[in-house]
Amino acid sequence: MSNSHMFLPSGFIRTPLQNGLGRYIPQLQRITLKFCKNHGGSRGVRDFIESDLMEFAKTNPGTVVYLKPRRHRSPCMVAEYLNGEREYLSCHEFSRDEVHKWLSYMCTRSGIPVMRFRKYQHTDYPTVQGVWNPFTHQAPEINIAEFPHEVLSRPLDHGPTATEQLIEIFKKTQIEDPANKPPN
Amino acid sequence: MFPCSMDSAETFTTVTFSNVSIYTSITAVNVISKRNFKAHWVAPTLRELKRRKVIEDDLNGGPKIFHRSTFLEWNYDAEIFAFSNRLGEKFNDLSLRAALTHKSYIERETARLSDIGVESNLQFQDNEALSQKGGELLSKFINGYLRAVFTQVPEELIRAMHDFLTSNPTLETVARHIGLGDLMLCADFPCKTETYVKSFKAIVAALAESSGEERARIFVQDLVVTQLYGQDVNELWNPVDPVGNLTAILKREGKAEPEFRLIRQAGSNSILGVYYVGLYSDKNFISEGAGESLEVAKEMAAREALKKFFRTEDSMRALPFGRQLKNIQSKIAQLENQPNIPLSEWISEKVMSAVH
Repeated sequence: MSNSHMFLPSGFIRTPLQNGLGRYIPQLQRITLKFCKNHGGSRGVRDFIESDLMEFAKTNPGTVVYLKPRRHRSPCMVAEYLNGEREYLSCHEFSRDEVHKWLSYMCTRSGIPVMRFRKYQHTDYPTVQGVWNPFTHQAPEINIAEFPHEVLSRPLDHGPTATEQLIEIFKKTQIEDPANKPPN
Repeated sequence: MFPCSMDSAETFTTVTFSNVSIYTSITAVNVISKRNFKAHWVAPTLRELKRRKVIEDDLNGGPKIFHRSTFLEWNYDAEIFAFSNRLGEKFNDLSLRAALTHKSYIERETARLSDIGVESNLQFQDNEALSQKGGELLSKFINGYLRAVFTQVPEELIRAMHDFLTSNPTLETVARHIGLGDLMLCADFPCKTETYVKSFKAIVAALAESSGEERARIFVQDLVVTQLYGQDVNELWNPVDPVGNLTAILKREGKAEPEFRLIRQAGSNSILGVYYVGLYSDKNFISEGAGESLEVAKEMAAREALKKFFRTEDSMRALPFGRQLKNIQSKIAQLENQPNIPLSEWISEKVMSAVH
């Protein structure tokens, strides 16, 4: 319905340091995977590390991956971004695919906190021709016109009145009268 | 188990800074939240603990901040590798490390080692020379780009844009957002603006050394010059006397003197009065300007006329970046040492001949 009662902050879409304008810099600086080597809740993370982690590290050479095996702790991942923000996610009892999914989600974020986008586009130059003001497209004749004016006082889309149309038709019939033709 | 290396055994003491650093204390993170259950009797305890923590932090002048290298999960070599890959550039390892090492760090380390009694034969190289060279390269590349893109603009505006792009706040922002904060070896923490700026300039020089000047030029265009996007260039510089300057330009071009005519007005008796003044030269319309009084409107009209001459109106072409620069890189390199015409000599014919 309305967004006013949502606690989620809202804003316009933005990117740190005009990322993408010159070159694209992946914003994920480092990711720390904390897991237990033994406990069952870390099984998905352990499976991910054994199978998919090397490929992930190879495709994202700009991100440092830290592994932190900690006994008797539930698994989590902490992502640190170039603008200083950190994202924490608990990976307890995740499957291997879920870990992969969330990790690739972290990769695609910039560090800007999650917010509701008011608009999905943003521009610093909203107008090229200039913002409309009441003087735009106005005939300069209004400056020295005395109102009420024959032309300028009428509505723009008025068109000829019925009387004027009749006069036009009459004038046309007049022209076709051969008596009025100039002698050639 | 991945190896964790720590560079120095020294722990950082609590720094009494009240300004907020980008290094937030460990507990304050964005959590992708889930439904958690905490029993209701836990709340008062947590509330009290938080209250005490807030008081402690205020007494110490802000929450404790730690350098990233004090964490257990830190590998400087891996961080450096990731840094160069993140930017998509190849660095010589020695150049890059030298660019990130500050004189203050070397002094501190040698002092510490000599205090302990260990003979210090540290092989560190600092970034003083690199930073100097990098500053020159930075200015050169920025000027080249500006002159190639803003061909009609007088040299004063080019200088103003260059000063904005090489100013400390701009370069510090760029340096922070490519991750230099964690990588720099310096004695001050939180790092000062000058440290960031020095490191960034040294990085530019290191890149020029490692991959060539061409790549360094593209690097500066992609990271520094893009900070000009979204800025109104006319806010950065305005001629002091637009009417006088305009008259001089028209005189030099051999055109008639500028004539100001009132085009539109509304509400002259009220505080919301607006006057539109048009600028004509030999009965040819050049520009119009609006203002709350006739004098203001006249000045605005002259400013608009100058903007039209210099092609810096609001409707000017978008700045080219990235792939759009591929064809004009040689022109940019050529114009690095060729300043634009100054305002005192500006005429249209001179700049038209310079347009390629």
